[in-house]
Amino acid sequence: MTSERKISANRANARASTGPQTTRGRTRAARNAVRHGLSLPVCSDRALSEEVETLAREIAGPDANAETQELARRVAEAQIDLRRVRYARHQFLSDTLSQQYYDSLANIRMKEKVLDAILRRNPLDISMETLKFMTSTPQGPDKLAKFLSGETKKLLAMDRYERRALSRRKFAVRAFDEARRRDCNN
Amino acid sequence: MSKKSDSKTEIAAGVSGQTQRLSLFGPPLLLEGEDAAAYDELVGRICAAIRPADVIYEMFIADIVALEWEVLRWRRLKSILMQEAWFKALENSLAGKLDYHLYSERVADRLTKILQDNLPEEHVNSAQTLVRDYARNKKHALDTINEVLAGINLNIGEIRYEAGADKAHELVQGYRRGEPEAVRLVDQLRTRAGVSMETFMPSAFREIIDDIERIDRLTAIAETRRNAALREIDRRHAVLGEALRHRMQQIEDDDFADGELVLEVPAAEGNAA
Repeated sequence: MTSERKISANRANARASTGPQTTRGRTRAARNAVRHGLSLPVCSDRALSEEVETLAREIAGPDANAETQELARRVAEAQIDLRRVRYARHQFLSDTLSQQYYDSLANIRMKEKVLDAILRRNPLDISMETLKFMTSTPQGPDKLAKFLSGETKKLLAMDRYERRALSRRKFAVRAFDEARRRDCNN
Repeated sequence: MSKKSDSKTEIAAGVSGQTQRLSLFGPPLLLEGEDAAAYDELVGRICAAIRPADVIYEMFIADIVALEWEVLRWRRLKSILMQEAWFKALENSLAGKLDYHLYSERVADRLTKILQDNLPEEHVNSAQTLVRDYARNKKHALDTINEVLAGINLNIGEIRYEAGADKAHELVQGYRRGEPEAVRLVDQLRTRAGVSMETFMPSAFREIIDDIERIDRLTAIAETRRNAALREIDRRHAVLGEALRHRMQQIEDDDFADGELVLEVPAAEGNAA
């Protein structure tokens, strides 16, 4: 059984652990679990919300009834979400490609192993080929290929978001068109 | 200004207008080194083919352009990787088949450099003479050079291999640029070794098969999405066509109901009351 002393010590420690105190610290801690933010709805971002509204007005056109406006808003929301996902993927790609010394994780691990062998007390002889491998990083098309192989998991995750946004937009556009067709027929 | 240049200016203005309209859906997602003008041209060509009727059409066009660009990007990457791998395989194959006289100077240069870096200071100036004597199999040069190389964990075989590889690299670069001498030499070496251009394919692609597979998958995804956008455009054409037919019918019905289009048939003379 836990002793009284231990319980009071735990309580005292818990009271001291209140997390970040400053606004900056709290803001940063609020984003701890955020990796790319793509799971957040578009409406949670004020700037994106405004873009959704502008695009929705353009889609619905003047004199649209409430139903058409709502359906247009769904189309706009999916479209802005799609743009956000594509932009995030593109940013990830161009940021990585702009890193001068980018290398795939597999290559980095291999280089670590070679370094480990070299730094031993009786190092192995290293060939010029190995030396070339150790001192070079992929460039140009090879860099893009290494990026695709090294970041497959993250790219697949982003692709899932894009697929969902495309699907939502497809059904939103169909619903919007159907409403328009009904309006025309009446 | 001539009529032709007038129409060219109109097309250019149209393309820039369409590009501006499509910027509603975000800026073009170009990577460093990609041609923005080629992207705009693609926008112009697709807009000219589809002629967007409303903002949703523009949305699909923006999609088609972005996805088509991606398809082209991945195809280009695949083609470059395959070319690089093929030339690398050719280089590796040539490295072992070159005649020594083609790269003997490189071996001498490398050896001289190694000696200059590793001989005692008072003997540095004799590095070139030593290498020359080494080539003539003079005992004192063979002994000195082998001793120096052993001291730095190197052997003459490695130096020769690297010099050969260097020469092969230079030859293949010349072959890529279409330099006649390099082309002649490479073809001659290949013929002598009895290997065709296709011989290198398996060894070249073994290295990059995973990359190619990944790129093919990305291309397929982009193509599928582009085709889906095209199908949506087809579907909307049909929906809009149907709506238009219905509206035309309505207009005709309304006009008949108002009596505006009713033909007044003149009464026959004999039937006059």
